[in-house]
Amino acid sequence: MHVLLIEDDTEAASLLLRGLHASGYTVEHAADGREGLDKALQLPFDLIITDRMLPQLDGLTLIERLRARGSATPVLVLSALGSVDDRIRGLKAGGDDYLTKPFAFAELLARIEALLRRAPGAAQSTRLKVEDLEFDLLERRVTRGGRELDLTAREMKLLEFLMRRAGQLVTRTMLLEGVWDLHFDPQSNLIDVHISRLRQAIDRGSDHPLIHTVRGSGYVLRSDS
Amino acid sequence: MRLELFNTTASRLSVVYTLLVTLAVGITLGSAYLLTESLITDEVDLIIDTELKSLEDKFARSGVPGVTDEINLRIDSWGRIGAVYMLTDANFERISGNVAHWPFDGMPSEAWPEFDIATIEPGRRAVHPVRAAVRTLPDGDLLLVGTDISQGRRFAEKFRFATLAGIGLSTLVAAIAGFWFSYRLARRVGEVTRTCQRILAGESGRRLPLAGANDEFDALAASVNRVLERLEEQAGTLRATFDSTAHDLRAPLQRLRGRLDALLLRSPPLEAAAHESIEAALREVDHLQRTLATLLQIALAESGTALAAPAAVDVGELAAELVELFEPVAAAQGLTLDCRHEQAAIVQGNRQLLAQLLTNLIENGLKYVPAGGRIEVAVRRLADRVSLVVSDNGPGIAAADRSRAGQPFVRFGSAGEGSGLGLSLAAAIARLHRGRLALESNEPGLKVVVELPS
Repeated sequence: MHVLLIEDDTEAASLLLRGLHASGYTVEHAADGREGLDKALQLPFDLIITDRMLPQLDGLTLIERLRARGSATPVLVLSALGSVDDRIRGLKAGGDDYLTKPFAFAELLARIEALLRRAPGAAQSTRLKVEDLEFDLLERRVTRGGRELDLTAREMKLLEFLMRRAGQLVTRTMLLEGVWDLHFDPQSNLIDVHISRLRQAIDRGSDHPLIHTVRGSGYVLRSDS
Repeated sequence: MRLELFNTTASRLSVVYTLLVTLAVGITLGSAYLLTESLITDEVDLIIDTELKSLEDKFARSGVPGVTDEINLRIDSWGRIGAVYMLTDANFERISGNVAHWPFDGMPSEAWPEFDIATIEPGRRAVHPVRAAVRTLPDGDLLLVGTDISQGRRFAEKFRFATLAGIGLSTLVAAIAGFWFSYRLARRVGEVTRTCQRILAGESGRRLPLAGANDEFDALAASVNRVLERLEEQAGTLRATFDSTAHDLRAPLQRLRGRLDALLLRSPPLEAAAHESIEAALREVDHLQRTLATLLQIALAESGTALAAPAAVDVGELAAELVELFEPVAAAQGLTLDCRHEQAAIVQGNRQLLAQLLTNLIENGLKYVPAGGRIEVAVRRLADRVSLVVSDNGPGIAAADRSRAGQPFVRFGSAGEGSGLGLSLAAAIARLHRGRLALESNEPGLKVVVELPS
């Protein structure tokens, strides 16, 4: 996978470059907005990660120019500006996701993975299936091994979010944003409690637990243990 | 708030103006009327007096027959000048003259008595008012001389009508002019008010319209526009300062995080104790980051910048969602958390900030209410606002500290987790939505009352 990282903070950039290399990505680096836009237009990338405040060309303007040239490459915006308005502006400009600094590297990796795997058309399917766990999206019915599970509307939304990203790391922040539409971090271990309730409903009495905790990062729903 | 035309300073002034015009015109025309009337009467009195004198002279020279002759001579003039003559004896029996009977009941008491006289004119009967004077001649006979004053009466009547019509007309004109001016005034003030309200509602780029009339209103609008311009500039500068401060504080935190993260990803992996320490350090970074985010958010909310792009938020629905989100955590702590909310408690605002406000209030309860306690969120729709109350039966906050709730950067409770910032942020968000946050006693416990204009 080819990733373009546009970041003017050299130390932050080198740490990210090392981490991304270690995670198996081929990364190209640009140190300012103009260089970033040139590279983004010349080479085919699978993903662009750009800082919001850049010399030469501001990150949001860069995305707008990129989109104006017809590029559909997913863009992840990194920003030291964390207010709600900043986020909205970032997404309006054509960014696909927005991450406020400082962030955990695991959070970045999870979001990169989510953006890369976001297959167009996957949203169309009306039935999700992971091993013997099945979710009929039209009838809002969930079964495990043929047995119907009694879930609340919110638990279903949470499960749908996890199943759509089966096999991928999903962080607590991603769940708060995706399931509850909250773009700030409450202090409590809210998500853990909700996941453990869902886990009770889905994995209880089964030899094959599907929801796994990734220590210090988040959760993953997958068939193998 | 709509400006009612009849409830403005301008229209009150126009009513006073109309009354003053009516009064002034009334005094002018009224005194002219009274003066003219008395002039006419004086003229009549003078003529009567002169006639009486000449007839008295005649009596002195040639007695009753002389006077009778003279009266008969003058009677002809009735048709022309409306003169009335009568000579009677001491018992009011007519000797001569053009009046058939003594018109008074005995001797009139006033100096200038008036009476009506009926005449037969060609084709019709007519009644004429007559003003007269009576003299007693030296031999005891009575001499009456009078003048038809119907002309004067008619003139006075016309004058009176003209006076009243003049007062009425000028009142009407003054009222129309006053109404027109107050309408124009109300319209222009209304424009200013509406524009100001839209600016307050977040359309910070809007300016007051200039009518192009170069009047004091345009001057006022231009001044207000300059003030708005400056405020917007200052907001921009402030925003830029926030942005660079946020950047300067977050960038080193990002590098710190990056270095710690890199250590965790190292191969071969670190020994368990080092790993633990790094994870603990990362938790401190998280804490620092959260405090920083809260402080920046408070500062931004307190800076007086308007809410960007407010949208309709159903506070009741939002409260229900957040209570549902927090309920399992509360249950795990042995607390009851529930929500009562009315339908469509809509506020114009920012959903994320309002969610943050609710979250902070609920988390505050989770932190301080001991197991077995209860936290309740209630949302009610009032006439012009939405009331949001988060109450608990925990230890509460001392009355002296409660009163400081509205002040920015005031911390409550124990300093430990720095939770005071949570309430400060909630208060700042309430103020940003032009609402208020107050702490009250729930007897026992804490009751946080937030009111947001709808």
